[in-house]
Amino acid sequence: MRLNTRAGLGALALALTVTATACGNTDDETGVDAGACEGNIGVMGALSGANASIVLPSVQGAELALKEWSEENTDCDIKIVKFDTEGDPAKATPVATKMAGDDTFLGVIGGAFSGETRATKSIFGDAELTMISQSATATDLTQEAPSPVFHRVVGYDDIQGAAIAKYLSDVVGAKKVFVIDNSDAYGEPLAAKVSEELGDLVVGDDKTQVAQTDFSPTISKIEAADPDAIMYGGYIAEAAPLLKQIRDAGIGDDVPFIGGDGLYGNDFGVAAGDSGEGAIITCPCVPIEDGSPFKESFLAENDEEPGAYAAEGYDAMNIFLDVIADGARTRTEIEEAVDNYNGEGITKQLAFDDNGDIAVENVVIWAYKVEGGKLVPDQEISLS
Amino acid sequence: MTSGAVGPRPDRLSGWPSTHVSALVPGLERYMDFNALIDNLGGNTLDGLVRGSIYALVALGYTMVYGVLRLINFAHSEVFMVGTWTVLGVYTVLGADGKSGMSMVIFATAAALVAAIVVSAAVALAVERIAYRPLRKKNAPPLIFLITAIGCSLVLVETFGFVLKYFFGAPFGRAPVGLPSPIETVTLFMIGDVRITNVAVFIVVGAILMMLALDTFVNKSRLGRGVRAVAQDPDTAALMGVNQDRVIMLVFILGGAMAGVAALLFTVRFDITKFDIGFIIGIKAFTAAVLGGIGNLRGALVGGLILGIVEVYASAIFSSNWADVTAFIVLVLVLMFRPTGLLGESLGKARA
Repeated sequence: MRLNTRAGLGALALALTVTATACGNTDDETGVDAGACEGNIGVMGALSGANASIVLPSVQGAELALKEWSEENTDCDIKIVKFDTEGDPAKATPVATKMAGDDTFLGVIGGAFSGETRATKSIFGDAELTMISQSATATDLTQEAPSPVFHRVVGYDDIQGAAIAKYLSDVVGAKKVFVIDNSDAYGEPLAAKVSEELGDLVVGDDKTQVAQTDFSPTISKIEAADPDAIMYGGYIAEAAPLLKQIRDAGIGDDVPFIGGDGLYGNDFGVAAGDSGEGAIITCPCVPIEDGSPFKESFLAENDEEPGAYAAEGYDAMNIFLDVIADGARTRTEIEEAVDNYNGEGITKQLAFDDNGDIAVENVVIWAYKVEGGKLVPDQEISLS
Repeated sequence: MTSGAVGPRPDRLSGWPSTHVSALVPGLERYMDFNALIDNLGGNTLDGLVRGSIYALVALGYTMVYGVLRLINFAHSEVFMVGTWTVLGVYTVLGADGKSGMSMVIFATAAALVAAIVVSAAVALAVERIAYRPLRKKNAPPLIFLITAIGCSLVLVETFGFVLKYFFGAPFGRAPVGLPSPIETVTLFMIGDVRITNVAVFIVVGAILMMLALDTFVNKSRLGRGVRAVAQDPDTAALMGVNQDRVIMLVFILGGAMAGVAALLFTVRFDITKFDIGFIIGIKAFTAAVLGGIGNLRGALVGGLILGIVEVYASAIFSSNWADVTAFIVLVLVLMFRPTGLLGESLGKARA
């Protein structure tokens, strides 16, 4: 989901230089005995730092999938190897190079964020190492610069933008929408897509900045436009003060506030306090029902509720495990098998198109509502 | 902050002629919306004053230290940040929130103010004692102080973003934290269509009062004379019996106290804090100090208020992400014509 473009360009440049060295390793004989059911699946993402809470649950989901599978497939020896990138493309590049050059790695779950994915997919591509991302949603990863090895089990931002627009017009019944974005690589395209879909329903807009706290000029514009709904494309750190100031200015709950998955996480409720109540947050991640087998096993294994993208991590790992169980042993075989995979996951029907995306009709976007500071599933947004 | 007492906003001034500035150049309104500024000029100006008041209070800390030591104390932004966390701590301990009664609100706000002042001043003093004084005793070159200041700033940021979280868990850490807001925002009166809220008055009047008090203290009191003496000529002041170390301590304490006041006013308005909340405000306050004339107390106020107004006007005309660009263009333009800032670097000239 989140984009970390700060170091992206530098990392990309580095990626281009290391690509040359990575190439040399790809055609060597595999380190794994042909036919033996063993190897590593790498997990790459922010395992520490500010955004770790968005990534760790998906890693726990993947580990749960492996544990369940290993109990049934005792003759196999598949391991998960975790790499912490802190979501930083510059830290992801050396990690990717390491996995690309080590033939025991059969696949990668990740990158968790779009920035690190953008920086590393050419490295994995040259090494024919299959990637399945649980949460990288930037549109360009598959739509503008697709890579043969990159797949993801979530819908991308353009689909989410369309879903937000649909929610605003159909569910909220908004006639006048005010659109705000944070001017960065995640928020701006998302808000632009919402505006494009809504067309004349947009009565005003403003572009804010990352790390801004005083939104009084934006509030003035909102008051002047007198909207019946407000959409924000950006992250928790700015959305929380923005929403507080909107409510402080006397723009009440009858003007709903809706944001994308950049606000997904309980941190939003904590930071926004009372003002956050009733805010709508969309996410390409599905809610995990109480009593479902996944939730029960997850609780038993981790002693905590499955968080963001836990089920998506579980699905991504199961794709790898399924194709390995079906006899794929080398990177080339796994890549081919994942491309042709078609199976029912716990989040959605899992099959990839030529770009590595889930077919649009199978993508699921959910709306969550903040209630009592926590995210409560509200409804699935129908995309058709 | 609860919003119950805020009435509906009255209609904007109507009946403006259709030939606004942006209508004179076809296509311009797509990028520049002068109507948005002019239609709500009073509201935007007030927003700018509120924003600028916080800058001005933090700028006082930069300007005082610079006036006396010729040192940019980059750790000052973190003194402000610690102040906001102190306010959070006081509210939490007292259990004050939007539902508290009037006496509780007054008590909690006063306690938070005092605590923020004391803690911020203590942090500023600690930075001076730990990071600057030993270097001064060794006659370190100015560049070393600058690096130490940045180092202190990072240490304080990481203390709240990482170390305290490691020991105490939430609310410390890198996520933003909402503060309870005992003071409810209410509309006091209207001037035309401009809604004057209690919070806006509290912040602007509070900032100006603090500035006046500090200005009087430095200009009229005996201790203030010592400050001015050291600013003017440290060696002569020492020969005349002024204890330089004490004056420097006093300057850091006063600057820290102002940052503490700024922290309270900030939290009253925005109800939020974060481990790196000081960074942007510190940069802006430093800019305000330079704009007004660094080393000049009145300059800090003028610079802060002008910077706040310029940012809000730019946000209204273009969009909010133009605020910084415009603010720094104004800074460059002002410095081109008045290299020492609007009011000049006058602390050393017996002004401060």
